[in-house]
Amino acid sequence: MKKKAAILVVDDDQDITDSLKIILENHDFTVRTASNGKEAVAALEDQIPELMILDIMMATDTEGFDLAYDLKENPKFKNLPIIMLTSFLEKVREEGPGDFAYILGEQWPAHWLFEKPLDTNRLLDKIDDILKESPSP
Amino acid sequence: MKAPRDFLSEEGIQFGRNSVREEVERIQWLISIRWWVPLLIAASTGIGVLAGFDERLAKLFFVAAYVIGYNTFFYRWTRKSKAEPAATQPRLHHFLIWQAAADCSALWLLAYFTGGTISPLCFLFVLPMIPVSTTLSARAACGFMASVLVGLTLLAIVEQLGWLPHQALVFEDKEIFSSPNLQQFLFNLLVLYLLVATATFLAYTLFKAKREKTKTLEALFESANRLNQKFWRLFSMIQTIGSAQNLDQVLRMVTSESAAVIKVQGISVKLLSDDGNYLRYAAAHGLPDDFVREKVVDIQKSPLNKRIIEGEPFVTGNVSAKEIFQFGEILAEAQIKSVLFLPLRLEGKVIGILGAYCLLPDRFTEEDVDFFRLVAELVAIALENARAYEAVEKLVQERSWYMLRVAHNLRAPLAGMLSILDLIRGQYLGSLNTEQQEYLRRLDRRSRTMLMMINELMTLARSREAQRTDGTESVEPELVARRIRRTFQERAAEKNISFNLTVPENLPAIRGDLETVEQILENLVSNAIKYTLPDGKVEVKFSPVVTMIRIEVSDTGIGIPKADRSKLFSEFFRAENARSIEKTGTGLGLAIVKEFVDKLGGRILVESEEHMGTIFVVDLPVAIK
Repeated sequence: MKKKAAILVVDDDQDITDSLKIILENHDFTVRTASNGKEAVAALEDQIPELMILDIMMATDTEGFDLAYDLKENPKFKNLPIIMLTSFLEKVREEGPGDFAYILGEQWPAHWLFEKPLDTNRLLDKIDDILKESPSP
Repeated sequence: MKAPRDFLSEEGIQFGRNSVREEVERIQWLISIRWWVPLLIAASTGIGVLAGFDERLAKLFFVAAYVIGYNTFFYRWTRKSKAEPAATQPRLHHFLIWQAAADCSALWLLAYFTGGTISPLCFLFVLPMIPVSTTLSARAACGFMASVLVGLTLLAIVEQLGWLPHQALVFEDKEIFSSPNLQQFLFNLLVLYLLVATATFLAYTLFKAKREKTKTLEALFESANRLNQKFWRLFSMIQTIGSAQNLDQVLRMVTSESAAVIKVQGISVKLLSDDGNYLRYAAAHGLPDDFVREKVVDIQKSPLNKRIIEGEPFVTGNVSAKEIFQFGEILAEAQIKSVLFLPLRLEGKVIGILGAYCLLPDRFTEEDVDFFRLVAELVAIALENARAYEAVEKLVQERSWYMLRVAHNLRAPLAGMLSILDLIRGQYLGSLNTEQQEYLRRLDRRSRTMLMMINELMTLARSREAQRTDGTESVEPELVARRIRRTFQERAAEKNISFNLTVPENLPAIRGDLETVEQILENLVSNAIKYTLPDGKVEVKFSPVVTMIRIEVSDTGIGIPKADRSKLFSEFFRAENARSIEKTGTGLGLAIVKEFVDKLGGRILVESEEHMGTIFVVDLPVAIK
């Protein structure tokens, strides 16, 4: 039987982490949660997941963004796929990675960006796509 | 917008050359009239002989031939000089004298062949005096008249002494006007002298008034022309200033434009603090950096500035040691000799001081001061406009920023709520009966309605930007390039970065407004310079691509450094509205760039390689003609 893929969900909103955890677990993922960047790093050091879901604005406006950049620079984590979440940009609702990735090109550290409130089905589809593309670590 | 300049410059040239052109025309007229003279001589000689004059009169045909000869020469000469049209007044006058001299010699012969000084044709000597005395100066006309009189005297002498045979007029074998006695002869000569002199005098005096009037007119034209040029420069200054809106931009333009308008080395703008106690250097053009950097003047300690603030202009054409003390040594080092300070006045209130600095001594005349006063008024208005504009912008931005923040803070809990709803409705926590499902569906619907309302609020906060363009404006790539060059060449030079802008000729205009296009480029170029190490290269290249104008901004930079990266996101967040916070903040402005490119209907792409550099490619649609 296929090994369950591990996902780390990082968000300071516990309502989000709790509900995502249950939903994702119901879709056969192993889910751990963290409520800030520091906890996330600790969780990553403990075990590297197949994918990370990361909220951008936590204690600071750019906490998630900063974490993603740091991870990209760390050889240990630089291949970790990241899906970012934000509750302010409505533009990302359109299909595509959004303005960030479009302009930043190389500088953009994530695979995808979703707007909150999340469309659960689209999130699940995206997770499947990404995991299919990237070889498991 | 182009018309006034063409009008001014063309008219300007014509004004100055008016009198020369008139003289050329007069000389041409003289030559054309002269063709009739030999005809007249020949005809009257023919008639004379037929009527009974002696056939010796036929010698006059030689005179006619002589006139044809020299007139042909003059005619050819004018033809030739038309090819090289640098006709100057002295050259024209020489030409006129030569013609008059030739005419006089022809007359001399005519008189000689028809009886000498007693010839009835002698009175014709007044004719060549007219063009000479109406055109030349009094001295030249008198000189010419004197030589004509000498010529007449010589004619009389040679005849009296019998050196040349007397050519009498013989009619029906009878000599007419024959051998007068000496008294009669002298009387004749005297009358002739008087005739010529009177004709010269009359022609000269009559035309003198007209000539003086022409001269005055010309002087007036000259000064009108000068004024026109000044106003044109002011006009173009207003145009340039009018196209800029934020204060920094206006200050930068105002100083460089006014330096160009009044043609001086440097211009400074000092602005009065709100309490009116200090003057702060807000901008400077063409002055040493140390001179203006962070410099604040305490008005109580500077009687000079105090006087200017009170409304008195300050001019000096030779900066003295005592004044140097007030301006600082840097000014002396820069070898500034003349300075001019004027209060910047707006509706009677002084808001600062405009200064002009020149390397030449005694540069500023009364007229310059008056003109500079006009410039100062314009500058004051431009500054006040920019301030007002910025204040309004800031207010709008602060409000939008606040609305955006509120919207975000409303969306966040709603997102959590909807996530939990998803969880329950997806029956992840256990199955639901139909009634439960129905009520949860209603709850979900109400929450999404709320979400929609919040989204609308966000759109509203954002919409202010979108209203700006109406699609009819267009921007010349050449103009944008020039302004970008002006804005950044110093900054690039300071970092020893080579900064190149290339715009091919005849590029079509870009659709959109100047401010938007300029901001796109300002942001990209400013980043390129910021993230390029000294000795690197920044290039901006314009090129046509089908219906777009492609602008490539490339650098040999290092990419965006770590410290600035997190700002990228916050910038995106803010850029949704708060553009000025952005500008003074990180200076990245990429989100703004994207926003603006979208607004103009263009596209932007980036390629970046670590340690190699970054290239931004912006395609903007061309204006519809």
